[in-house]
Amino acid sequence: MDTPPANINQTEPSGAEDCTASVAKGAAVEMELGPESRLLPEMLGEELSQAAGAELIELSKAEFAEALETIGAKDNFGLDPGKQPNERQRELFWRALHLEELAIARGCALGRESAWRRFLAQYREPLTRAAVEMTGSVALGEELASALYSELFGLTEREGKRWSPLLRYSGRGSLMGWLRAILAQRRVNQYRKIGRETELGEIEPAARVSEQIELKQLEDLRAAIKMTLTAASAEERFVLSAYYLDQHTLHEISRVLRVHEATVSRKLKRATEHLRKQLLRTLRERGLSRRAAEEALGIDPRDVDMNLRRLLQDSEGGPNSNKERQE
Amino acid sequence: MNWNFQLGIHPDADQLSLFVEGAATSREHERMLAHLAECAECRKAVFFMQPQEETQRAARTPVKGWIWGRLLPVGLPAAALACGLVAVLVHIWNRDSALRNPQQVASLRKPEVHLPPTTVAPSTDSEVQRSGTARGAAPASNLSGHANLSSPKSLNLPEAGGQAAAKVAAPETIAAGLSANAPVGRAGGSAGGVIGGISPQLPLNGRNFTNLQQIPAPSGAQDAASQNSLAKKKDLGGLMIEQASGQDKALAGVSGRITDRTGAAISGVSVFVRDAVGKTRETTTSADGSFNLTGLPAGRYELTATANGFKTIEQSIELNPSQLAMMEPVLDVGKVSETVEVTSAAAQLQTESANVGQVITGQVVAEIPGVGRDVGVPSGLPVTATVSHGKRLISLDNAGNLFLSRNRGKKWKKINPQWTGKAVRIELTPAYSSEATAKPKNETLGKANEAAVFLLTTDSGTVWTSKDGAHWRKQ
Repeated sequence: MDTPPANINQTEPSGAEDCTASVAKGAAVEMELGPESRLLPEMLGEELSQAAGAELIELSKAEFAEALETIGAKDNFGLDPGKQPNERQRELFWRALHLEELAIARGCALGRESAWRRFLAQYREPLTRAAVEMTGSVALGEELASALYSELFGLTEREGKRWSPLLRYSGRGSLMGWLRAILAQRRVNQYRKIGRETELGEIEPAARVSEQIELKQLEDLRAAIKMTLTAASAEERFVLSAYYLDQHTLHEISRVLRVHEATVSRKLKRATEHLRKQLLRTLRERGLSRRAAEEALGIDPRDVDMNLRRLLQDSEGGPNSNKERQE
Repeated sequence: MNWNFQLGIHPDADQLSLFVEGAATSREHERMLAHLAECAECRKAVFFMQPQEETQRAARTPVKGWIWGRLLPVGLPAAALACGLVAVLVHIWNRDSALRNPQQVASLRKPEVHLPPTTVAPSTDSEVQRSGTARGAAPASNLSGHANLSSPKSLNLPEAGGQAAAKVAAPETIAAGLSANAPVGRAGGSAGGVIGGISPQLPLNGRNFTNLQQIPAPSGAQDAASQNSLAKKKDLGGLMIEQASGQDKALAGVSGRITDRTGAAISGVSVFVRDAVGKTRETTTSADGSFNLTGLPAGRYELTATANGFKTIEQSIELNPSQLAMMEPVLDVGKVSETVEVTSAAAQLQTESANVGQVITGQVVAEIPGVGRDVGVPSGLPVTATVSHGKRLISLDNAGNLFLSRNRGKKWKKINPQWTGKAVRIELTPAYSSEATAKPKNETLGKANEAAVFLLTTDSGTVWTSKDGAHWRKQ
């Protein structure tokens, strides 16, 4: 039961430090792209730059074209790595970008006045609102938003240069979605810094006492559940952890997965049943009688729910790190 | 961005936003899920990124699966009971509407001339409307227009009250109904000729209406009709498009409220929408004048609103997928006896006059495609003769094939010839109709002599007889 803190220590946060590192990498990619490796035809570059209204925000065609090239190279034009995109695929990829928003982000990252004016006019209010929503408090939300602003303005310097996370916006999603993501990451950081202890303490401290009794049984299951989880699909694992570990509602999960609540419910049920069956099998393979195995898991579905939650919590560290190392 | 999620490295904001917005490729989506399954922090970020709404739903939804197991013993009988109840209700409703006969309907429809502008509900009472729409279900698709008023049965009026009522109350529908049916009524007969003063007692059966559908309007007539309809179009209230809340994005709908010039809602207005291929959907406005037609495939529609005592209006509307068009048509009070042209497939015929007895020239009849094969036998060949007895119809096509229908032409069965050679003539026993070329439509065969016999003559001159049309004997 004391693994979670260790786990969090293991997986380092999506903090500003990480971003810094990755932005530096992104900049390096840009540097490497010499003029000889240009893939964007001049005509198309001009057209896209016009569509984006790049000139209105003091962004030259060359700068915008460079942004397009970088993004294309970075994501391999939306294709799986290793595949060579042809001209048509490249064009489709570029055309599908949120060009206008990309131009604004680039303009801001390069410190263009008019880009910032448009950015503030368009995104300031929604961004603050999103921050207030996330924190659930006006004061905290405004604080979070203004901290993000200063970061976006490029007030932090890296290697003697101003940089802004906006450089990392690819234009594949909406700029507002990207801002929400950044905001959420910063919020998680805040959470981690301020409330790690309290947060972990919140996980049903009362229940822990009674759990002690069954701890021995759970020990038997731990290895089994590690194995079973490794075999489950990514989506199943996500649903299981979001539901049992984070205690999100089916509705919340359904919104993230963009499916109906009932679908999530079905998926969860299937995943739980699958897990239970697998666990039973594993336990019986290890010499437990069917009855003993069922007792260990709990026959009532509600018991299984409870037990699964504990098992997932307990075993999260294990398959977790294994997985990540594999990848 | 790092897609090799090594220990301690998380997806960046760009990938998170792509995932949340559903813009990620399937591979990215899969990898993100794999990461999220194991990374509590990114999971938290993803849930943070969801817009407000979720915070209001604090209650944790339990997994419902096992609850169903417990409810099953109670739920199953309850569901069965509910099904039974619905079946009974449907049965009662059907019987109820079948009981209302056309005479009743016709006599209920009172003549109304020059309704005062403040009239809210037109003369038609709800009883009539209900039975009208219930009965009109079948013919509605055929006339693709004012079907609930021009049901064929309503033509079969009693001499005294019915005709007068029909003339005054709904002349336009009579005109439509008659003009549509008249040529078909004689379609099996010899070509050309003039029919004068077709009486409203002309009995019509379902088969005629089936035929109507098959008659495409000659282009000239259609042009004229559309011109007329253009001239008839009234200015409708502003058309607003709203986003429909439905799940199905491909379907559209139209709803609105129908009022008169004073702003009073009109109930019981029949509202039809007709798509490009002539398929119609209809509804009736409720007590507050509102109507709602949903589940329509997107496309261009003609919307028609008709009510007794009001002028019919037409409006073409464009429905976009997943949008609900809002309309607020205003109906003008009209003279009841005013002629309203009907833009259904029958518009090719003379409909200018509301007179019941009208002249349809042989020319018009001859121009109608489908004359001669109106019965629509399965062979698809032109029918040379048809005789009927009660619900029984026997048709002979020009290849000598004989077809029998036991339900007024709804279903046909080919009769295997027991005779040699080709059948050239069929007739009913002389007492009823010896003219194979004229369809004995007018016969009140319900009371007919049971001993009616079908006669068939082959090209070799032998005569075969049959009582039921299926079993034949050489005479």
